[in-house]
Amino acid sequence: MFVGLLLSRYLNMSVEGQEAVTTVTPGQYILIEGNDDEYPFVAKLLKFFGDESHKQKKALVQWFLRLSEVPQNKKLLLGRSPHPQEIFYYLGRACDNEINAESILGTVDVRQDNSPDTLYVKLSWDTKAFNVLDPVLMQDTPASTPPKPALPLFPPCASPTATPVSRGPVRRALPTPDPTVMRRAGSVSDTRATMSAGKRSTLEISANDLLLCLSQGWATLMGVGATKKSELIMMDCSCLFPVGSRSYFIYLDVIFVVLLTCVPVLRLHVSSVPESLPCREQEFQDIYNFVESKVMDGTGGCMYISGVPGTGKTATIHEVIRCLQHASDMDEIPTFRFIEINGMKMTDPHQAYVQILQKLTDQKVTADHAAALLEKRFSNPAPKKETTVLLVDELDLLWTRKQNVMYNLFDWPTRRHARLVVLTIANTMDLPERIMINRVASRLGLTRMSFQPYSFKQLQQIITSRLNKVKAFEEDALQLVSRKVAALSGDARRCLDICRRATEICEHSTSHPSSAGLVRMNHVMEALDEMFSSSYITAIRCASLQEQLFLRAVIAEFRRLGLEEATFQQVFVQHRALSRVEGLQPISVSEGLAVCQRLGACRLLLLEASRLDMLQRVRLNVSQDDVLYALKAVRD
Amino acid sequence: MSKRKVKETHMPVGECISQVQMILRERFCHQRLPEKPVGMESQHKHLLELLRRTAVHGESNSVLIVGPRGSGKTMLLNCVLRELLEVKDVNKNVLPVHLNGLLQTDDRIALKEITRQLNLENVVGDKVFGSFAENLAFLLEALKKGDRSSSRPVLFILDEFDLFAHHKNQTLLYNLLDVSQSAQAPVAVIGLTCRLDVLELLEKRVKSRFSHRQIHLLSSLSFIQYLDNVRSQLSLPQDFPDTNFYDEWNDDQSVVDVLQRHYNSSKDFRSLHLLLMLALSRVSASKPAIKPTDLLEASRVCMVDSKANILHGLSILELCLIIAMKHLNDIYEGEPFNFQMVHNEFKKFLQRKSHSIHNFDKPVVIKAFEHLQQLELIKSMDSSTAKIQKEYQLMKLLLDHSQIMEALQKYPQCPTDVKQWAIVPVLET
Repeated sequence: MFVGLLLSRYLNMSVEGQEAVTTVTPGQYILIEGNDDEYPFVAKLLKFFGDESHKQKKALVQWFLRLSEVPQNKKLLLGRSPHPQEIFYYLGRACDNEINAESILGTVDVRQDNSPDTLYVKLSWDTKAFNVLDPVLMQDTPASTPPKPALPLFPPCASPTATPVSRGPVRRALPTPDPTVMRRAGSVSDTRATMSAGKRSTLEISANDLLLCLSQGWATLMGVGATKKSELIMMDCSCLFPVGSRSYFIYLDVIFVVLLTCVPVLRLHVSSVPESLPCREQEFQDIYNFVESKVMDGTGGCMYISGVPGTGKTATIHEVIRCLQHASDMDEIPTFRFIEINGMKMTDPHQAYVQILQKLTDQKVTADHAAALLEKRFSNPAPKKETTVLLVDELDLLWTRKQNVMYNLFDWPTRRHARLVVLTIANTMDLPERIMINRVASRLGLTRMSFQPYSFKQLQQIITSRLNKVKAFEEDALQLVSRKVAALSGDARRCLDICRRATEICEHSTSHPSSAGLVRMNHVMEALDEMFSSSYITAIRCASLQEQLFLRAVIAEFRRLGLEEATFQQVFVQHRALSRVEGLQPISVSEGLAVCQRLGACRLLLLEASRLDMLQRVRLNVSQDDVLYALKAVRD
Repeated sequence: MSKRKVKETHMPVGECISQVQMILRERFCHQRLPEKPVGMESQHKHLLELLRRTAVHGESNSVLIVGPRGSGKTMLLNCVLRELLEVKDVNKNVLPVHLNGLLQTDDRIALKEITRQLNLENVVGDKVFGSFAENLAFLLEALKKGDRSSSRPVLFILDEFDLFAHHKNQTLLYNLLDVSQSAQAPVAVIGLTCRLDVLELLEKRVKSRFSHRQIHLLSSLSFIQYLDNVRSQLSLPQDFPDTNFYDEWNDDQSVVDVLQRHYNSSKDFRSLHLLLMLALSRVSASKPAIKPTDLLEASRVCMVDSKANILHGLSILELCLIIAMKHLNDIYEGEPFNFQMVHNEFKKFLQRKSHSIHNFDKPVVIKAFEHLQQLELIKSMDSSTAKIQKEYQLMKLLLDHSQIMEALQKYPQCPTDVKQWAIVPVLET
């Protein structure tokens, strides 16, 4: 690498578009051709050298970043709005610091103080945080600058003498992700759980309430056999507040119930992010390995993931990305960008381009232009490039007649310089075969994964793990819920919703707060009834007499015709006959139509458009047996 | 309303009447919410608890209120909202957003309406949103309070929920329910619908995100309760200015049979209110109370057959054509007919039986026939009307025989031979 080092310390080169010949020397700041014509890359030239064949001039550079090149989610770390001319000293290692000499556009002036027109640099960026720039790094001694990959990571707050006296807040005290919170180690995840649970409970219970529960929360808790979790919360509380007076003692029961019930309810909400995703270990591992290997190699690839709703597809991928991000924070793997789009959240499939581009570069352009820019970005080699992981949720909605959106999404990863990993999610297993034309399906490849609906054991495990050892459910009750859901859909969301409802019912069913205990069989049964039972039969029972009579007339007419369809006129004749039998005054046609429309609005009957009047056809939306059963019960 | 200062104030009858009418009209036109929803205590409690969780604890929820038309879904919701907004810190915090499927016919309009109701128009300005979700995300983002991570709870109330399910891809529902299932801003999605099968309309992804909480409002009032309700609806409030009048007014009426008939037909309060409204409008200074006859009259107005009413306004010629159609229906067992057939039948009647009716020219008869078509008493069976000559278009009669006979009975000065013809058709000889 140092062979051709001093061959050309001076290089004459013409700058595109200008006749003048610019000379660049090592130590100067240069502009380098990039994706964006308006804002070329900025770097400091360290040295020139020829490659092995001596044909191409290469240059060794120290990169600088514009804020637009900093990943979207990291921009906030700066803690202030950046000056448009501000650039950052790049301390990361992911970018190649060798460039082709031809890509140099010209020189630029970079200063270290705040000047309005020229670029200036004050901070450095090491892919994780902004730090105060060590002035030593900026000195014009290229030889003294060590080869970049080996740059020492100096502590963020170096000795105060070394840092220049800065005016504004240079480095924002920022809660960087605490490694202990990361969830790969089991013991660590526990701490986080407690923390979050504690936080939530303080949210739940106002400070006032907490004061009340202080005096002797212990006794009650121990008496009813509270679990470790609640104890911890109680401890938190008692640490926070001084011991209350005796009169608060009577409230204790209430507080205890609040504590015991609000925690499970919150934890059971679908939105609460669990500490771990049980029952998806295999899938997690597969996706993790896939993405990790692509990121490590700097290559691209596609993966198709299918499964019915509520089987944890999106959650698992988010989990994988979280872990990978952690790994890259720990410098185990190169950094990468994660972008997520959702077919359901777009009005038009072509919006996908716009959203991807916006998340990548923060530009807002039209769909066509975005497609062109992305095409350029993924097909051309660029010096600074990290792997992009793109998650496409609800893939089936990106379908267009020509399928060009899907084609592009799956074609980019195959390009040599793309470094793009595309993870796609949809509900149907055979989506590629069903809706994709051959050239699209072929590019998607055969890396497929299917998330099976959860079995009852898995559902049970999910709830248990969510509750995190809080004993809130009876064993049988839990089993009933999970078996019921597993038999119906295997949708974890449904399962959690039922459990949450059952907890609420349990909470309300007890008149005396202290007797509220575990969620029992009957609570679960009630919740299941509420959510799953068909309301048709109740609706028929609660209908008015004439409406019931009309339903009977419909059935009588069906029997007479031997068909499952009759016109209103025919049914009405039956209706009148039936009312005579029942000893009711027959109703007029207008009233009959009103009755019929009411039944139609509830969808007990299916009706044709009402402008057909007497001739509209009537069908039942419930089985005849159900109607008869419901009506029989009424008459008895 | 003036406060009752002296117990025995007397006001002129006219003033009392106008007071009464004001109070009761407010009630019947649903301008004032009742003190407490009747017959739906458990549902009320459930909904209140649910919304309280969202408003106070920031727990996102979704719920459907299902019940037939006029069963009090909106009333229940409004009662709950009123109660919820009485809580002090909730009042300032919660943002209710009312959407109606009949007004917001597509997602874009719905989004605009949400923006308007959240008073974010000036924030959005003329920003161009590339996508629906971006817009929605922006809206939710805007709700977050400056420094705190918590944001204000928003209650999305979707009236005619089933119509939202017909929007393209159900994007609005997906996004709203997705927000309610993920840890973003706390929202509650409340759908009101009268369709019992509304869940089947939801796409599987949308369905999975819905919490499947349904509150059914099916009235199971017995007739006794129904009567009590009528009584309480008509009773004047305690603080009515004139006590004498108050006592008189609250005398019970014996109109049980009318109400029973009404109850049989439908149990909802909206139709009852309509009935009582009609009765109320007959109250005047000279007749200061609702008498049973008033209710009977009101009931008659409510129950009257609209088609039979139209028949009363027809000319004799048109009536004759209708009778001819009736006979054709009898002969051909409900098969469609055309003008020529009706005209022949009519001519037969004129030749053989008629004493009072003279012959009409054919164009006059055609005109009468077209009038019937305009009144939608008859309806063309073919979809393409242009191709066939008017005389030969196939038609069907949209009247029941009983309606025709009933109308003939009441028709003013109907010639007897026409009446006779309606009963006995002209036989072929």
